Amino acid sequence: MTDTRDNRESSGSKVFVYAMIFSLGLTLVFTLVANMLPQVQGEAPSEQMVDLGSLTMDDFIALGKDLFENKGTCTLCHKPAPLGRAPDIEGADMVAVSEERLADGRYQGEAKDAAGYILESMVDPSRYVVATWGKKGTNDAESPMPAVDKPPIQLSTVEIDAVIAYLQAKDGNEVTVSLPSPEAAAETAAAAPAATGAPVPAATADEAMTKYVCTGCHALDSNDALVGPGLLSVGARLSTDEIRQSIIDPNAVISEGFPPAMPADFADKMTVRELEMIVELLAGKK
Amino acid sequence: MNQETKMGPAATLVATVIAFVVVVAVFYGLDHFVMSIQGLPLNADLTPAG
Amino acid sequence: MKNNSPRQLISQTPLAILLWVIFLVGFVPGISGASTVQAAEGTGVETRIAPVGRVQVEGQPIVEVEVTAADAAETELIAAPRPSRKDYPNIGVSSRAVVWILAQMHLFFGALVLAVPLFVLVIELTGMITGDDRYDDMAHEFMKISLVGFSLTAIIGGSLALALFMLYPDFMAYMMRVFGAQWLVYAGLFFLESFFLYTYYYGWNAFRYGNKKWLHLTLGLMLNASGMTIMVLANSWATFMMAPSGVNEVGAVVGNIWEVMKGPLWNPINLHRFIANIAFGGAVVGAYAAFKFLSTRDPALRAHYDWMGYTSNFIAILAFLPLPFAGYWLMAEIYAYSQQMGITAMGGILAWLFIVQAVLIGTILLAGNFYLWSGMSRTEGSVRYQWLIKYIAATLVICFLIWVTPHTLILSAREIAALGGSHHHILGPLGIMPAKNIAVNLMLIATFLSFQIYRRSDKVATVSWAPAGNALIVAIYVVAVANIIFAGVYYGYFTNTLYKVGSSVMQVVSTLVVIITGIVIDSLIFKNAKTLPSHWGRIPDRAQYALFALPIAFTWLMGLMGYVRSSVKTHWHVYTVMKDNSPDNFIPTIGYAGNMITIVTVLFLLMVLFMFWVANLGSTRQPEASADGGATV
Repeated sequence: MTDTRDNRESSGSKVFVYAMIFSLGLTLVFTLVANMLPQVQGEAPSEQMVDLGSLTMDDFIALGKDLFENKGTCTLCHKPAPLGRAPDIEGADMVAVSEERLADGRYQGEAKDAAGYILESMVDPSRYVVATWGKKGTNDAESPMPAVDKPPIQLSTVEIDAVIAYLQAKDGNEVTVSLPSPEAAAETAAAAPAATGAPVPAATADEAMTKYVCTGCHALDSNDALVGPGLLSVGARLSTDEIRQSIIDPNAVISEGFPPAMPADFADKMTVRELEMIVELLAGKK
Repeated sequence: MNQETKMGPAATLVATVIAFVVVVAVFYGLDHFVMSIQGLPLNADLTPAG
Repeated sequence: MKNNSPRQLISQTPLAILLWVIFLVGFVPGISGASTVQAAEGTGVETRIAPVGRVQVEGQPIVEVEVTAADAAETELIAAPRPSRKDYPNIGVSSRAVVWILAQMHLFFGALVLAVPLFVLVIELTGMITGDDRYDDMAHEFMKISLVGFSLTAIIGGSLALALFMLYPDFMAYMMRVFGAQWLVYAGLFFLESFFLYTYYYGWNAFRYGNKKWLHLTLGLMLNASGMTIMVLANSWATFMMAPSGVNEVGAVVGNIWEVMKGPLWNPINLHRFIANIAFGGAVVGAYAAFKFLSTRDPALRAHYDWMGYTSNFIAILAFLPLPFAGYWLMAEIYAYSQQMGITAMGGILAWLFIVQAVLIGTILLAGNFYLWSGMSRTEGSVRYQWLIKYIAATLVICFLIWVTPHTLILSAREIAALGGSHHHILGPLGIMPAKNIAVNLMLIATFLSFQIYRRSDKVATVSWAPAGNALIVAIYVVAVANIIFAGVYYGYFTNTLYKVGSSVMQVVSTLVVIITGIVIDSLIFKNAKTLPSHWGRIPDRAQYALFALPIAFTWLMGLMGYVRSSVKTHWHVYTVMKDNSPDNFIPTIGYAGNMITIVTVLFLLMVLFMFWVANLGSTRQPEASADGGATV
């Protein structure tokens, strides 16, 4: 169809103007809608560099601090009174404290110095339980703390050393642990089961419980309180929806007498299937 | 042009009822099928099974 | 020749069948894909609690340690570069903004010139089967008005490549290493596409009848084949950036080119873009027809451009209907690839953008429906169905309002502060909110109903079983709507998350059943139907504005979804393997994105006007010794 110059085609430029006004106006509406919504900007996280092969002692201590506060989950319980559910660490000089403990008559362990004591208390927490902090009903014979070198926390030797270095250095004490050797660093790296940031989704509820370290704070086989309430009969206490809510928004309802210690970001981390498996498992515990 | 042949009102009513019954049955089966291929079986009353 | 042939396009099913087949082929694996458990989740390491027995910081390659440890010589794996901020050239304006505009313009034109030959070929085939020259002429005209688009696509694409190589040298060096010789194939295909484009377009009248027509159709097919190949190659770069495959965790290439290309998101993106391109292309050429319709009073021309606008709208809306499902598949695969990425898109800071998306899609559906209702004035038989329009309109408006209602009606200060982690969106992957799911499906069904009554409005069935067929269709509509509402309400609010998510598939299937059975049953009922007189060109002028609204909304929508698609990578060039350390490595606000999208939309609008103007220039001849005659636009 070719174009003809129709005499009646006088409205061409008028139509053009109307069409443009209409189109631009509509574009403007969309722009306005976009600008009316809450404006949030997603910042990129700041870069942290940790190179196991070429760590300085300062890096090593910083790594220890990071592990203490994050991956080690230590601060969930070791908080200043009255928040803590375990002895305060950040507010105490751990070298001095360790030496007091070693001198205590109740001490049965094998550690000879502060570093040894700290190590022992991390990998075998029940060896010496600070008075009044033991598991309920065990008369301070048993510690509620999980061994940090075992799942779910599962720190490596190098990482445990880094934590010790941090605990020694934070109050100005001499650091007695040595930097990891390149071999140890390589071994640590090689032993890593998962590559960069791709944890495999859990296949079963138990795996999921392990993956998200639930058992670090909750006893599954009793109703005794560790950090959080025991979960032996949680299904009788809470409905499925309440359990789900407690996981994805733990601070909405907090069991009486417990600190708001549970991480609030499980919803971001769990897959839906993992969440549902855990909820189902817990709901069945009656 | 074809001769327009229409169904009578009674036949139309019957057809409508049959159509509804058939369609409901098909959708019922479809619901079961769609959920089960996702690994989410349903009971006969369409409540979640298992 | 039949005098009612233009209307026949409505009942021409090749196009419809083609689109649906393509869609179904893509969708069926999508259902199973959605139900498979997440394969691998890429995410920031330290931000996750995972029993990883070693120290690992984001972006820190573990292979470096391995490489120092002896067996490095075994392979020559080169990790992705890790540029620091100073490695990014600073040209004084935001590099991202430059690339953003160029990439989006390239995509707009690319989409247009991929889509147009596709439906042109189908229309040409229709013309050949029906023996009606008007199809052939219209197909030719569609090609004519988009011809300049090919050059524009190439020019903008070249500018985009230049900008990327200059502004992101490390990133492009890495992409070159990963994709290797695939770039050469890509470049080679341009020559092939150009060859088929020019032979197809300029050979139109030379190869018009008989066996030569088959030659011409083959040229068109090859044009589409080369264009489609170009698209899927280019898609693989985008999907590699989102979900890298064929490389190890530090970005060193470990697989062959096929493994690199065939990432988890490749096919979902291919299908999604393929369908969206058709809708987009139809909408753009529809605006051309609307403009031509409005600028003339010649009844013959008005009839022609009315028909052309109707066809364009038909293509745009028909391709648009399956798009949400293709998008659903894409999002499901994104969730399967990385929960984190899915949450960034649907539940994180980008979640608000889906309000804008709802406004855009609502605009598209309302405009498309409005155009169809207005078009019913063309036929005398439409009075039989007029009464339905108000109900369809009410359904659309109510559903639209439900859809744009923010999930949490009243936001407290704390909720706004916690925007990044609003839990509702997370519970159902795909941010499935039952009420909105019901609304979206009902809107699609309502739109299809508009289509169906439009198609029926000029026909009277002659088959004896027509009342039974009608009863069946009514039953399907009623039961499907009931099923969608039931699934949304019951599974959405009274069962667990898994069933809630699963029931959305049930809803989608119900909608599909309505659409597919509607097409099939109607085509059987109206076999040899008596046709009522209809009058092309008899449509209110205001209806044409719906044809302007469509391409504007489509263009804006594409820009918006491109912003999401690219932003879900957050601060990565290539997700999990190559970090973006440029000054623009943050996700911009929705307002900033909206302004950028408006800029590209307006730029695109201007360039499209240029394209149409050039197309008409070719058929305009300056009259001798007369004052300017080229008054056409």
